[in-house]
Amino acid sequence: MSGFVRGSVGYNDLGLPGMWTRRIGKDVYEVFIGPQHPGSGHTRIIIWVDGDIIVDSEIDMGYVHRTMEKLSEGRQWIKAIPLFERMAIHDACNVTLPYVRAVEKLLDVEPPERASYLRVLLCEINRIAAFLYGFGIFGVFLGHSTMYMWPFGDREVWVELAEWLTGARLTHTYPVFGGVRRDVPAGFTDALRKAIRYMRRRLEDYRKIFVDNPVIRSRLEGVGVIPKKIAVELGITGPNLRASGVEYDVRMNHPYEVYDRLDFEIPVFEEGDAYARVLQRVEEIKQSLRILEQVADWLDKHEKTPIMAEKFWKTAPPLYKKVFQEQGRVKLPATFAIMKVPAGKAYERGETARGEISYYVESNGANKPYRVRIHSPSARNAIVFKYILPGHRVMDLPAIYGSIDYFPPEADR
Amino acid sequence: MPPQPVHKRVHPRGVFSRFKGNIEAITIGVKFFFNPERSTLIYPKEYIKLKDGYRGFIVLIKDKCINCGSCARICPAAAMKLIRLPFTDPKTGRTRMKLWPVINYNRCIFCGYCVDVCPTEALYHVPYHDVVWDTMEEAETDLEKFQKPPEWKTEKEGIPVRYVFDEKKGLVKVRVEGEE
Amino acid sequence: MGALEILWKIISWPPLWQLIVLGLIVPLLVVIYILWFERKTAARVQRRIGPLHVSPKIAGGLQLLADLIRYSFQEIIIPKTVDKAAFISAPLIALILSILPVVGVPFTDKPEWFPIPMDYSLLVVLALVTLSPIFLIVAGWASNNKFSIIGGMREAFMITAYELIIIVSVASAGVAVGSYNIVDIVHAQTGWKLLGLLNPIAFFTAFVGVLLATSGFPFEIPESEHEVVAGAFTEYSGLMYGINMGAAYLKRMVYSIVLSVAFLGGWLPYTPGEGFVSGYLIPSIVIMVKATILMMIFSFLRAVYGRYRLDQALDLAWKIMFPLAAIGFGLSLAEAYLGIF
Ligand code: SF4
Ligand code: SF4
Repeated sequence: MSGFVRGSVGYNDLGLPGMWTRRIGKDVYEVFIGPQHPGSGHTRIIIWVDGDIIVDSEIDMGYVHRTMEKLSEGRQWIKAIPLFERMAIHDACNVTLPYVRAVEKLLDVEPPERASYLRVLLCEINRIAAFLYGFGIFGVFLGHSTMYMWPFGDREVWVELAEWLTGARLTHTYPVFGGVRRDVPAGFTDALRKAIRYMRRRLEDYRKIFVDNPVIRSRLEGVGVIPKKIAVELGITGPNLRASGVEYDVRMNHPYEVYDRLDFEIPVFEEGDAYARVLQRVEEIKQSLRILEQVADWLDKHEKTPIMAEKFWKTAPPLYKKVFQEQGRVKLPATFAIMKVPAGKAYERGETARGEISYYVESNGANKPYRVRIHSPSARNAIVFKYILPGHRVMDLPAIYGSIDYFPPEADR
Repeated sequence: MPPQPVHKRVHPRGVFSRFKGNIEAITIGVKFFFNPERSTLIYPKEYIKLKDGYRGFIVLIKDKCINCGSCARICPAAAMKLIRLPFTDPKTGRTRMKLWPVINYNRCIFCGYCVDVCPTEALYHVPYHDVVWDTMEEAETDLEKFQKPPEWKTEKEGIPVRYVFDEKKGLVKVRVEGEE
Repeated sequence: MGALEILWKIISWPPLWQLIVLGLIVPLLVVIYILWFERKTAARVQRRIGPLHVSPKIAGGLQLLADLIRYSFQEIIIPKTVDKAAFISAPLIALILSILPVVGVPFTDKPEWFPIPMDYSLLVVLALVTLSPIFLIVAGWASNNKFSIIGGMREAFMITAYELIIIVSVASAGVAVGSYNIVDIVHAQTGWKLLGLLNPIAFFTAFVGVLLATSGFPFEIPESEHEVVAGAFTEYSGLMYGINMGAAYLKRMVYSIVLSVAFLGGWLPYTPGEGFVSGYLIPSIVIMVKATILMMIFSFLRAVYGRYRLDQALDLAWKIMFPLAAIGFGLSLAEAYLGIF
């Protein structure tokens, strides 16, 4: 990083009222990318460029901060689930699952096995959809409009599946304390298998038009390299971390739900550049498809059993059981609205599409959380913009931004 | 078998990879140019006939409601409110004040908690949620309005379609026939 | 002379055709068609429908007219900080200059239909073609906006990359034939001795050069939305923005015309005869059709490629394309020496 002076004295060079400028180092341009820039998302990246080279950079977060942690303290336990979903609505199940699990820990309930499988099912559907979303944004950042439209179109397949399963396209509010809200509808696993086979075909198409496209390869190879050591020091997470050669995935290191019973790989790439991060995501989609196949087999083989924890389900009136038998819909016990959670602290983590999310939940025995602390993956990855950007060209900014898959609403919470 | 880490490397660029990559990219572009496999929904000329179980607008069956208030209590967006209205019992003929739920669609997030928590299944979802109201007041319901599904203009103007899953094309649009 | 005959005389009066029809109406139609085609192609490849609702019967063909009307009613905002004279005049001059090279292109071999008859028409056209990008840089500079200046600078870099490639590879057409008169070049190609087939290297480098020159994908760098918003046009709004965009497409059309006369045999296989229809109308339509097909290929590439980085584009231009263009020039020399034409 060069040692030029970031000036802070106000000048009125332009002669416009209220338009103060500040002088910075000679030959250095200060460019504000965002928050209303087509290539920034809801965040601002400030870069200082010398010619075409970025000499320093800064990320200015918080444009979509919604005080989620504080809001959750003012509402009953179950009402926080739809709230936390809004961090990353296209990854809703992954984002809320650790919260649900933390509260389950405090309540001392265990979801039935079938519910665990269903949670994994929706988590992986969400993960694929979120990766495709990221690919779409990445494609358009590199000017590849087809790679923008194709993943968004194919994401529709997964969104449609999720809608069929949960009744809502994005904000599923699917896992609740003690289980999940709906069982798989008839014919769902067949459609799922079709979608899996379809996605495998499409990945080949993506390879041809995007991943192996010489233009894209030259744009990404050797760009935004995060060496293994730096990646660990900066504390980045998720596919970005694994693309730098670190074997860390919450599903593997701290397995939750039924992930330890499923047979899949955690791909790890060594290079740590933007291209490795693309391949990392492609490989992870393939592994998610593998998981989904196993879940579909399991669901086909096993009987329809209750998907709500015994503690809540045994007191359910006959009408509830009838609705579950006929429609596969779990009716929530009326106590959920005013439920008190025993005092205590719980910490849970989960692997979202963008990395590790962790919740620290503290209860003082009331019907509302005393404190919920969320550590979201994008917030951890944001630091990359400060330390990795300098030294690159201005045109590398979208390539790095897209390959990090940074999602401001999730980072700002 | 628990998940295992597998180390991989980026496939190196061969001598002809640039040439091959260009050809492949253009070929697949041409392929889709001649065979577009579109799945666009031309809304509102067509609209998706959503599956049963979709969490759309909510309707109250007044006769089933036991005025328990659970739905209002669990609503995370404070969209469901209770209002106090006189109610005449048809058997005894006595009139009493009772609490009835009404919904404000300006706030509702369609989480479906209220439907799932209602002990008597007095609430149900209709499978659509594309209705435009001109004013914010119109999106609020009173007890009368809450018992009828909101007017669904799309249905009158459009053709119902449904997406089915397909191995080759992902989602295929098919017209829903025979209903209505 | 009957009234009809007078009308026919007016319609077929050469200057009218050259100025109004060729200068204004045809470019407008072609640009509108190409914009529509570009959107439709991208939509097809991307499994969408593209523009439709404006005129569903003709697949949204009127969408661009609707856009044009919208542009012309939009407020033109001129920021306080810009250099007004340059800001306003630069896009207009660029528009004029980008269509100007057509004066050098004969659309037939009958001299009475030439806009300006000259012996070095190919060189004149090439010289005129390179004028308009300067005003793009001026527009960027006058805007007094960081994104505009960066965009303008990128254009400046690109000029250094593509100009030489285009000139060398198009000039090699003249070298092969032994004349820089476009009529001679076209005549030499009779009997399917198309220069595009006999000298594919020069044709290819010229093609890539045009992509570089008109910010076609994969070289859409000066206007790259995700770094520099709209490049030099960031501060423009309404019709001014439309003019800027239109100028880029006009430039592409002129380049395509040059390529189709120099490499694809101009009005061949048709032989112009006497009179207006046979002597002018049909040959010029043949040329325009060839040019339009070229433009359609340029447009198609948008759906397949992303964009290169600026330094990579320059690398490609100087390290691969320029040597290739030189080889193409050599090939032309060899062909001229062997006397193929
Ligand atoms: S669907 Fe959810 S937000 Fe809407 S009224 Fe019911 S509980 Fe409230
Ligand atoms: S939960 Fe059901 S029964 Fe109770 S007030 Fe609401 S609608 Fe009526």
